[in-house]
Amino acid sequence: MPQKKLSVRIDGELISAVEGQTILQAARANGKRIPTLCDLEGLTPVGACRLCIVEISGTDRLFPACTTPVQDGMSVTTVSPKLTQYRRVSLELLFVERNHVCSACVSNGHCELQAMATEMGISTVRFAYNYPKLAVDLSHPRYVLDQNRCILCTRCVRVCAELEGAHVWEVTSRGIHSRIVGDLNQKWGDAKGCTSCGKCVQACPTGALAEKGWAVEEMVKKNDNISSLVRRRGVQA
Amino acid sequence: MHEMAKELLDAGERAFIDQVIVSKDERPGALLGILEAVQEHHPHKYLPMETLEYIALKTQTPLSRVYSVATFYALFNLQPQGDNTICICRGTACHTRGSRNLLESLRLELGLTLEDESDGGGADKILQTTPDQKFTVRTVACFGQCALAPVVEVNHHICGHANERTLQREIQTIERGSE
Repeated sequence: MPQKKLSVRIDGELISAVEGQTILQAARANGKRIPTLCDLEGLTPVGACRLCIVEISGTDRLFPACTTPVQDGMSVTTVSPKLTQYRRVSLELLFVERNHVCSACVSNGHCELQAMATEMGISTVRFAYNYPKLAVDLSHPRYVLDQNRCILCTRCVRVCAELEGAHVWEVTSRGIHSRIVGDLNQKWGDAKGCTSCGKCVQACPTGALAEKGWAVEEMVKKNDNISSLVRRRGVQA
Repeated sequence: MHEMAKELLDAGERAFIDQVIVSKDERPGALLGILEAVQEHHPHKYLPMETLEYIALKTQTPLSRVYSVATFYALFNLQPQGDNTICICRGTACHTRGSRNLLESLRLELGLTLEDESDGGGADKILQTTPDQKFTVRTVACFGQCALAPVVEVNHHICGHANERTLQREIQTIERGSE
């Protein structure tokens, strides 16, 4: 079925997009990068991290690029002082919510959150830290779940449900009490649905989900593998 | 999972859950209604883990999704509830009319601990049940009855302009009624 071609302006540059694409997908297809933490190519976009917010001319509202579909004649701005300010605040609030101490993290140096903070030039957090002390789940023979590193991007939830089909992970409670939870709040090692495939570990942007046996700075995630797996299977989110 | 959920629930309970699930006709979003009906049916007005497991099994919903829904909504209880529920409004209007003192005196009266006051600064939702399972004290953000502030709900009956005396009287009435 031939898809309708749309022409969109992104940062002043005229690009052509396909109907049904999101702003993020259209930008990526044309080599333009929009910062994001929760989006992973191949998984359903959810708009959890709010870092991909963009300005659309004709409205004062900011839209998440990952969930907003492109429309013909749309003019999108992806870089502006206002957007930078909003993105920085979102990022700072992620740091406030959990104990993201890089020096003791397996993902130090390979962490998307850390890289994003560096990119945004965040050296300090303006708000008071508000993180609880959460237990680390070491019950799985191969993997570790450290809630203290979690940013609730729900990549693990989606990769497990959509690609693996096990649907072990979900988000429990709400607001500041939200946590990633396996099955009926069971320890990971006791989760009967888990196939130990490790897709959630590779999808995780931080050190919240990691393989055992790696020391600080050693856990390198391969989330490209997930996107290529989706492409090869022909599943399109 | 299958066997375990079957063993832990008695036949009557299973039959009731099956009936509720059938009546919801596999509509999308039926899970909420199912959980609500099953909780209401339970003598202690809560959803034990075995029940959640059984519902997940019967509706072919992932366990994690059932748990997520049951914990997202304040309506669902995962702990057994007392025979009587006293619900204190902690909305702004009731707060300015002294609902914090009301809550504290009620908890003292019923012999409930005040210790978890420290972590949430009193802003968090409170849900406590007395050890004898007689009373459950909980808080809500607002009843929508701000003109009657401070508002207390005793067993789904709204008491406006509540004070420590009226609250004590309500508790005495309940206790006398149960003797």
